[in-house]
Amino acid sequence: MSGICKSRLMEERRQWRKDHPYGFYARPVKNENGLDLLTWQVGIPGKKGTPWENGVYKMVMTFPEDYPSKPPKCKFIPALFHPNVYPSGTVCLSILNEEEGWKPAITIKQILLGIQNLLDEPNPDSPAQSDAYMLYKKDRVAYEKRIKQQAKENPA
Amino acid sequence: MSDMSDDDLVEDVEDEDDYVEDDDDTDLNFTDVVAEKDRKKSYEVDFIVHSIQGIVKNQDDEVTHVSNILGIQKQHAATLLRHFRWNKERLIEQYMDNATDVLNKAGVITDNARTPKFIKVPGFMCEICCDDDENLNTLALSCGHRFCRNCYEHYLTQKIKEEGESRRILCMANDCNVIVDEKTVELVVNKDIHERYRTLLNRTYVDDNEYLRWCPAPSCEYAVECHVPHTSLISIVPTVECHCTHRFCFGCGFPDHQPSICVLVKKWIKKCEDDSETANWISAHTKECGKCHSTIEKNGGCNHMTCRKCKYEFCWVCMGPWSEHGTSWYNCNRYDEKTSIDARDQQAKSRASLERYLHYYNRFANHEQSAKLDRELYNKTEKKMEEMQQTSDLSWIEVQFLKKAVDILVQCRMTLKWTYAFAFYLARNNQTDIFEDNQRDLEMAVEQLSELLEKPIESDKIAELKQQVLDKTVYVGSRREILLEDTAKGLLESRWEFQVDIKS
Repeated sequence: MSGICKSRLMEERRQWRKDHPYGFYARPVKNENGLDLLTWQVGIPGKKGTPWENGVYKMVMTFPEDYPSKPPKCKFIPALFHPNVYPSGTVCLSILNEEEGWKPAITIKQILLGIQNLLDEPNPDSPAQSDAYMLYKKDRVAYEKRIKQQAKENPA
Repeated sequence: MSDMSDDDLVEDVEDEDDYVEDDDDTDLNFTDVVAEKDRKKSYEVDFIVHSIQGIVKNQDDEVTHVSNILGIQKQHAATLLRHFRWNKERLIEQYMDNATDVLNKAGVITDNARTPKFIKVPGFMCEICCDDDENLNTLALSCGHRFCRNCYEHYLTQKIKEEGESRRILCMANDCNVIVDEKTVELVVNKDIHERYRTLLNRTYVDDNEYLRWCPAPSCEYAVECHVPHTSLISIVPTVECHCTHRFCFGCGFPDHQPSICVLVKKWIKKCEDDSETANWISAHTKECGKCHSTIEKNGGCNHMTCRKCKYEFCWVCMGPWSEHGTSWYNCNRYDEKTSIDARDQQAKSRASLERYLHYYNRFANHEQSAKLDRELYNKTEKKMEEMQQTSDLSWIEVQFLKKAVDILVQCRMTLKWTYAFAFYLARNNQTDIFEDNQRDLEMAVEQLSELLEKPIESDKIAELKQQVLDKTVYVGSRREILLEDTAKGLLESRWEFQVDIKS
């Protein structure tokens, strides 16, 4: 692990422990050598007043060796029913794409808040799975029902 | 002809002069487009070939000009020009209209007090690497987002070297659109990376400019300027020739494809990629059901066919309905009966379009193949030229006619090749006869010249051969000119009708 990657992730962890948005959690996983800073387990709560509320959605962030030059990979486990989440669970979001909006200064907190926003405001221009996308386009009522069901399956 | 070779020599010398001049020549001005040749034919266009130095120079001139007019620093003028894809008029107009808006959209902040420079800030911690060493050199663009020097260098190097980015490298802060200008890049990165950055910028200058195009020949570094707008490509085939001798279409970058216009070339190539092999195979191995026209391959069994789609029963040999075959199960003696002939006629019609395509395709492919063989002829010709110099009293200059002949031959084959793509899409009217006559005349002349060049050399007949080749070369060249002249005029006058919509 390069010096920058390690020190930045340590600092991210310190900052997060000092202060983080309500309802979220984010921590490096433990392995036999102690902490694996390159793999974080995170939880993103659905916003109040949206069909996503009362759910906390589990995600794994994988940081590349050349982070923060390159963005981390964010993957919902289990995969999420959402127009911009690939069937594998990977999130499709411009700030997570190094050719698009990724900037080295984007923090973990900003990423997680960005993904929380995306939950209730999907981007119909870049669908990543057909099931959720089609339902979202064709039958909004059924879509929201399905989202509420998913929230129940992912209790806080 | 030996005169022409002399001309060539002179031209070569001039070219070398150009190389030297380009370094310090300050008179290069892109706006004065002059004809490369004095006499212009209707299939020719004006163009100029520029060296890298010329491109750099012109870029600088544009930047200086805009920087003077708008009263802003050069690096900002450059960023603005790139944002406006080098459309100077539009930039100046919009800047005069609303300068703040233009600057914001292009990601430029002109406040001179905030020109990026390295400084040490007490108590600073870089948000990217989290280093808080008090000796840390830091840098902020005019937006004020401050990061350490190492992170900036790392970031810019990655953008330039790995992503090949140059004109749109943004500040590292989230959601910040301010562009890292040339001066800052130069300040931060090492010499190699900076050189690469300059190269990339030059590339975008040509790529962004509608009237400039890089010569597509491998490792050629010239760019060609030609003022044929994209909208004219349905009535003109702007063929240009680079200093490296590569001839290509300015409109699409494809090798010289006169007389076909770009859109037909595109359609044709796509069709050939999609269809040719398949069409050949279908034509050779299948027949069509007499009723529903499904394509059927017979891969075994008897001649009593039942179409799997429409259940029509027919005989594979005569294509007539099976019901009339009675009990003669395994042989067909009804080939000449009326119903069978009708069935085959029907078949023939639906095959005609396929055959038509193959007709043009085979001729197109044939000339392509021949052009390749003619290139081998080059090597043979070179040997021949040596042989001639040894066995006769002809000098080096006097045997150049052979090389010239091969050049013309290859060029004419290229032209012929594309006449077939052109003809395929041409709708038949009175004009097509003239076109086909021209095509045939050129084709005949080309084959005759080709034959002459293949002939073995008999030392006592060299003078005679030379005369024949010279005559034929001139004739072939003139046939090509006539054909191109006629098609080009036809395009300009919208005289040709096409079977496809060329405007889509």
